[in-house]
Amino acid sequence: MKGIGERLGREWLICDGGTGTFLQERGLSGGELPETWNLLHPDIVGELNRKCFEAGADIVNTNTFGANRLKFGDKLEQIVTAAVDIAKKARHDAGRDNDAYVALDIGPTGKLLEPMGDLSFDSAVEIFSEIVKIGAGAGADLVLIETMSDGYESKAALLAAKENCDLPVIVTNVYDNNGRLLTGGTVETTVAMLEGLGADAVGVNCGLGPLQMIPIVKRLINCASVPVVVNPNAGLPQMFEGKTYFDVGPEEFLRYMEEIAAMGVQVCGGCCGTTPDHIRLLADNIKKRPFVPQTQKDICMVTSYSQGVEIGKKTVIIGERINPTGKKRFKQALRENDIDYILNEGLRQEDQGAHILDVNVGLPEINEPEMMEKVVKALQGVTTLPLQIDTTDITALERAMRIYNGKPMINSVNGKQEVIDSVMPLVAKYGGVLVALVLDEDGIPNNAEDRIRIAKKIYEAADKYGIPRKDIVIDGLCMTISSDTSSAAVTLETLRRVRDELHGNTILGVSNISFGLPARELINSNFLTMAMQNGLSCAIMNPGNEPMMQAYYSTNALLDKDEQCMDFIGRYQSYVPFSKLGEVKADTGAAQTAADEKSQASGGAVAEAVRRGMKEGAAEETKKALKTRPSLEIIDNELIPALDDVGKGFEKGKVFLPQLLMSADAAKAAFEVIKSSMQGSEQNIKAKVILATVKGDIHDIGKNIVKVMMENYGYKVIDLGKDVPPEVIVETAIKEDIKLVGLSALMTTTVVSMEETIKLLREKKPDCKVAVGGAVMTQEYADAIGADFYGKDAMATVRYADSLFGA
Amino acid sequence: MIRPERCEINRYLGYRSITPDDTVNSLIDECISEAEKVIRPAYAVKYLDVCAVDEDILKIGGLVVHSHGLYRNMEHCQTTAMFAATIGHGVDMLIRRAEIGSLLKASVLQAVGAAYVEALCDEVNEDIKRKAEEKGCSCAARFSPGYGDLSLELQKDFERILSMRQQLGITLTDSLLMVPSKSVTAFVGIRKGKCSTAETAVNKCKDCDLYRDCSYSKEVRQ
Repeated sequence: MKGIGERLGREWLICDGGTGTFLQERGLSGGELPETWNLLHPDIVGELNRKCFEAGADIVNTNTFGANRLKFGDKLEQIVTAAVDIAKKARHDAGRDNDAYVALDIGPTGKLLEPMGDLSFDSAVEIFSEIVKIGAGAGADLVLIETMSDGYESKAALLAAKENCDLPVIVTNVYDNNGRLLTGGTVETTVAMLEGLGADAVGVNCGLGPLQMIPIVKRLINCASVPVVVNPNAGLPQMFEGKTYFDVGPEEFLRYMEEIAAMGVQVCGGCCGTTPDHIRLLADNIKKRPFVPQTQKDICMVTSYSQGVEIGKKTVIIGERINPTGKKRFKQALRENDIDYILNEGLRQEDQGAHILDVNVGLPEINEPEMMEKVVKALQGVTTLPLQIDTTDITALERAMRIYNGKPMINSVNGKQEVIDSVMPLVAKYGGVLVALVLDEDGIPNNAEDRIRIAKKIYEAADKYGIPRKDIVIDGLCMTISSDTSSAAVTLETLRRVRDELHGNTILGVSNISFGLPARELINSNFLTMAMQNGLSCAIMNPGNEPMMQAYYSTNALLDKDEQCMDFIGRYQSYVPFSKLGEVKADTGAAQTAADEKSQASGGAVAEAVRRGMKEGAAEETKKALKTRPSLEIIDNELIPALDDVGKGFEKGKVFLPQLLMSADAAKAAFEVIKSSMQGSEQNIKAKVILATVKGDIHDIGKNIVKVMMENYGYKVIDLGKDVPPEVIVETAIKEDIKLVGLSALMTTTVVSMEETIKLLREKKPDCKVAVGGAVMTQEYADAIGADFYGKDAMATVRYADSLFGA
Repeated sequence: MIRPERCEINRYLGYRSITPDDTVNSLIDECISEAEKVIRPAYAVKYLDVCAVDEDILKIGGLVVHSHGLYRNMEHCQTTAMFAATIGHGVDMLIRRAEIGSLLKASVLQAVGAAYVEALCDEVNEDIKRKAEEKGCSCAARFSPGYGDLSLELQKDFERILSMRQQLGITLTDSLLMVPSKSVTAFVGIRKGKCSTAETAVNKCKDCDLYRDCSYSKEVRQ
């Protein structure tokens, strides 16, 4: 018989209907796991499968929706194998051995992935891999991943299927009325990611009835290049006497499905509440309708878990600041594992208007793959912007692409065969938009003709690796005009020819053009305008550079890429012209002097800013103070006394938590300024301490408050984060010879992990003191689990540390 | 749109007898407006039969629950509503972002999120109460897994019975915490006939193990 791969997308295929509803009618109770019936009642499961095959379904799912290790442990193999056997026998009994297929059905794990939940991406892939291996081994014809409400989990399942079998894989997701996944992804971002990962068909199932699905189906058809699958419920769920039921009957269901079929989908079937009768009507009628295959879409999209950025319409700004090149403070952050500093660089660029963030964490003395994975994970926990993974380390690249939640941009490949052969296989496997530098074994061509030749070579290589040409973005290469004044012209010609002759997208690291010149932003901003006019699709630049942003918004307005000039007006309606800039500055100058005098009077501007919780003020004043005074003196005479004042007020109940935190934030900002100025020189620390939220606990704001306070008071904090196993805490304590560990727990249930950690510490590192705190902690609890100290708040913990290590 | 009382947000921030100053107040405003953009309230309710089997043991639907606290709360009830409510993932994301730059903002967002989900629960609770009273019944104070000695293990039953994952997008971690963090599960016991207001008055505080030194208590103590 023809394999499903030969028919999918070339002719109508019909999927089966709901499983749960059928089994419940046959006596499956609310608390029972449906998959257990593969062993307990194989006859009933087989009857359902057979009825679906007989009704005309070409693809029938195995009863394995919830079959995974988390629910079935060692029994998994037996349950999945039985399900495939039952379906194959049902197909035989229905006489459809030659024209119907058994799909290994895979549903969600039931757990939410990190960073929102507590299941790691790698564990999710392992869980799915196990199911795929068993199901494919038992003889399923395809894999159907369905009812996924989290894009990240869909990726884990699809990757597992692709890595562990050669069968075609269909992925259908659950969208809400607005076409969004539970975790935020849209139809377009989800399709972009799944196609990049090699899904053989994509679609929608469950959650909605056919009527509500129509707008989603429209969007699917408009963005997908692979076949589209639509499996709705029999309407929206209704409640009667505590039971859920669906009320769209077979005829009504067919009416909507005919409308959906006419829109141009390729596979349809049903989900919850649909019966073999629904499927029979569907199969009988849909197959008579004209079949339209999906068309290839020329959409180049980079996505995060929730946002898509389309390349090729309006020039996209890629923030370049997450990069250690030429930045001492950034290098220090990398060496010290200071992830927050890096995240802050990301969030700042987001606020400044970047659309995508470039991520480069390469430094010879650090483990780049580890750092890249850590930073990408952390960034996608806090920003909705897509990322551009920027590295020459292939291991780092693969690790980042694997755990990336979306379709990333990859920086970069070039015309060198060796680089093509190492980078392109990864892009072919994981999907991504690939930046291609037009240089090769002979270096960088000094003319556009040769650059275009290399671009063509890269496109051809992409064809060979199965990477769609739309996913290649050509870097026209920016060389400084200070060494060759013709270089800008060559770059611009390259951009223009890629656009006009190759119909491709382009990218530039814009500010390279002015290297070695004074007033670089003048050259950069003007060059950006010229590049945009020559078709530049993506500008890698610093969104914090105002002249460049001015050029960006002005050029968009001039090129008719800013509807009604709304973006331009929004940004510059209160713009102050150059000629008037002097007056304004003079005004604030006077006010500033007055403020300076005032704060001088109340004893130290830095101290005053910290006391009043003024973050920017504290940073500014510290910068000023550093010009005339040594940093240690500022810490001892201003920062610490100010913090102490506020801390004492808090202890006495005169200052409330918000004020304490405001001052802590302000002090942190001041310390950050001092830290930048002290690079290289030894910093005074009282002691190194570990802070961690114990295993099982995933909320850590309390611990973070303690961290900032401790750092402000001169402690070096090793922050192990949240959900930390006892072993990790103990190992770190031994390795770093730590004398004080602070543990936080939020729930009574996780106090147990706290107790375990303390026991293990006592055994392996007896000279280490333990302070505990957290929402449920009390002195009694602390005593009962053998802690040395109960910190009722952050100040109390600081005081305790000072009593151990000297104030 | 649900809207919590401003004083509730203040209370979660540790203010009881006094009000925050202008700086904190304007930050609270900012956090409320950011939060309101991302809050997606959702809830599910189901009704189950209750009977007291023995001292401190209740049968609720098919569940047998051992708990002194819940027993005292529901021993006279014949049915109970069980509900789950959430304001979605958005506020968790805002908190994670804020934590990088400003602890104060992160704390205010925590307080705002907590106040919103509590306000949502009050609304759901009110609805349950109204329906009960229409039938001549009255309600006990709502009681959540984790209150007193009521085991968090019950979260798994809530998850299953209310289809929390599919219906509301609430999942459980291995340690039975809910994600999104601003989510609540609870029982609201229902008994036939009226009972004195004293009996049904919400006093979550007095029954709590942390009554003595809780900084969030609604009572102002010296």
